[in-house]
Amino acid sequence: MTATTTGVRVKKPARKRAQHKRAIAFFVTPFAVLFSLFYLLPIGYAIRQSLMVVEREGTFGAPTEVFGGLSQYAQVFQDNDFVSSLGRMFLFGIVQVPIMLGLALLFALLLDSPLLRGKRFFRLAFFVPYAVPGVIAAIMWGNLFSPNLSPFTDLTSSVDFLGADLVLWSIANVVTWVFVGYNMLIIYSSLLSIPAETYEAARMDGAGQFRIAWSIKIPLIRPALALTAVFSIIGTLQLLAEPQVFQSFSSAVTSTFTPNMAVYATASIPNSNLAAAMSVVLALVTFVLSFSFLKFTQRKEARS
Amino acid sequence: MKHTKTAAAAAVALLSSVTLAACSSSDDSVAGGACEPAGENVTLEFTSWIPGIEGVVDLWNAENPDIQVKVQTGPNGNGGTYKNFFNQIEAGNAPDLGQIEYDALPNFLVQDGLEDIGNCEEVMAAKDDFVDWTWSQVTLGTESSVYGVPQDSGPMALFYRKDLFEENNIPVPTTWAEYADAAAQVKDAGGYITNFSQSDINQFAGFVWQAGGSWFSTEGDAWDVTLDSPESVQVADYWQDLLDKDLVSTVPAWTDEWNNAYNSGDAWTWVSAVWGANSIASGAPDTAGKWAVAPAPQWTEGGTDAGNWGGSSIAVLKGSDHKYEAAKFALWLNTSDESLTALNEAANIYPATKEGLNLPVLKEGVEFYGDQAIYDVFKDASSQVVPDFTWGPTMTQVYADVSDGFKNAVSGSGTLASALADGNASTIAALEAQAIPVAGE
Repeated sequence: MTATTTGVRVKKPARKRAQHKRAIAFFVTPFAVLFSLFYLLPIGYAIRQSLMVVEREGTFGAPTEVFGGLSQYAQVFQDNDFVSSLGRMFLFGIVQVPIMLGLALLFALLLDSPLLRGKRFFRLAFFVPYAVPGVIAAIMWGNLFSPNLSPFTDLTSSVDFLGADLVLWSIANVVTWVFVGYNMLIIYSSLLSIPAETYEAARMDGAGQFRIAWSIKIPLIRPALALTAVFSIIGTLQLLAEPQVFQSFSSAVTSTFTPNMAVYATASIPNSNLAAAMSVVLALVTFVLSFSFLKFTQRKEARS
Repeated sequence: MKHTKTAAAAAVALLSSVTLAACSSSDDSVAGGACEPAGENVTLEFTSWIPGIEGVVDLWNAENPDIQVKVQTGPNGNGGTYKNFFNQIEAGNAPDLGQIEYDALPNFLVQDGLEDIGNCEEVMAAKDDFVDWTWSQVTLGTESSVYGVPQDSGPMALFYRKDLFEENNIPVPTTWAEYADAAAQVKDAGGYITNFSQSDINQFAGFVWQAGGSWFSTEGDAWDVTLDSPESVQVADYWQDLLDKDLVSTVPAWTDEWNNAYNSGDAWTWVSAVWGANSIASGAPDTAGKWAVAPAPQWTEGGTDAGNWGGSSIAVLKGSDHKYEAAKFALWLNTSDESLTALNEAANIYPATKEGLNLPVLKEGVEFYGDQAIYDVFKDASSQVVPDFTWGPTMTQVYADVSDGFKNAVSGSGTLASALADGNASTIAALEAQAIPVAGE
């Protein structure tokens, strides 16, 4: 809530502040109510659920929930499937995020360079995959990869894109295809905000296009790159739709392939307490990773 | 600004106490309510996923102005409706009646989601109307409790491509040994005898059922988990052998690719339930007239055992205030000729009652199967289903875990039998995680 109110911190004489308080309350209340109802409350409920365990008596005894401390969390870390799904996503993120952002940066720099013709067309062309819903994109790529249904059966019947070895990277391909354009646009809009004088100065100093891109553009858009990286880290850990769709094409995608799928499978048992604990752990991992990444890039920035 | 903050904090505190109170209200449920008429007009809520169920319910509503049924449709059970039921039960506002497959009933019972309708006289009186084994699916091993009214069943038989078997002079297998021989001949002719379902474990469970195995049983107050029973392992080894020899295909079930395998003549047979007749007709339209149905292959020569795949009941969900009326409607829906005929016309529902198997619509030849009267085969199978198969209280988890193991086995790591052993261990862990007592632990 503090984030929304910092913008209105303007120095005013004390007697006028009383009126402002009402105005602030008026503007903040709708947000505060919705924020609490649909954000804080569910989080609080999930945490509460994750601290409970079920007790019952006999074969068909009715369940009662009692406080169980951190025992659900102990189970989460003993759950090999969940832990290995996290490991799988680390691997996925370390490979896929740099490739995706590298491509996005390259495309954004190309769009921004004076060398390229038909910028409007390419800007739209790169962005169009993002307009395709992730599920549809996964179905489309699943069909392309399928050994029997693909239009390129010569290739797909000799290379098993949907087998245990490659399926993770086939999914990475789908995610990259969908999100390159989106990240490109964020980076591109940040490039547009660089004042033209900077380039003029660079040219006067004799810098070519490559030099400008490397030494001026990239350092100046570092905040945009950090932002897209954080989004991508979060997106990777939350991966759900694409692998779930791929289940209908590939036997190698298990029900606990990603952390979110493991949560989903556990909630379906239904064991909502364990699922809640898994969700909390996943949220903490996401939080720690994205914040340590931000700190890391900020420190680097301060040093340079 | 401080005021706003405190106000917001107060609002949060207030809201959370309201919600938490709402959540805990489900604890004070009344155990085993009486089964008595309300004595006034009631409206029942009913959730189902049968296509065309609205039309069948309209028949009831027209004749019963005092008991009106409001039907709501959703995705099939494991596709989302069960999840909704569990959430609604926890929130204390479940519909009065819900469609629940036999394999999910124990799960709903341990989650305290079902009303026992065993004390409704009319329900108990209808016991003998139902095919015996379907009745034991809803009593869950108890004497006097009934947790749902059986609706349909899925006795299994062998669907096969009559034309291809005849062209290649391959005899239609009557035992599993012959089936394996036929598989080699089919492979030589350029096809696969069938597709092994590694993603839908229900078919495999049906095979185990036919072999006389069971995955669960109750021992006193505790559950006995036997996913890796000798019968189960026998079935697993059999299919592992076919997989090792590359005699069966392994595309994930219920996908375009799977339909394509049947439509293009890649897969020649399917040991499936009665409702599978529809799946083939809709998934493989180009093969119309080329299929026939024979009794399922047997483990012993001359045997007459059938497995079952699927089938559901109509259960009265926890918290219903109108148990009597709900049970009355469920009985009408699943026993009256009027309703069973309408259900069969709307969605090919294969009745769970003895009388229902003689419906005129189930005596006719079916065009897609070269006018063979295929339901005669299934009627025999229905009476041959082994009666003692018991489902466990966490089938969703069992299916997911065994399917994960089977998928690995199909991709080359591990075997079907080791997947069953792993599934056995993870099932025991899942039961213990929910404090469900396990025998021998």
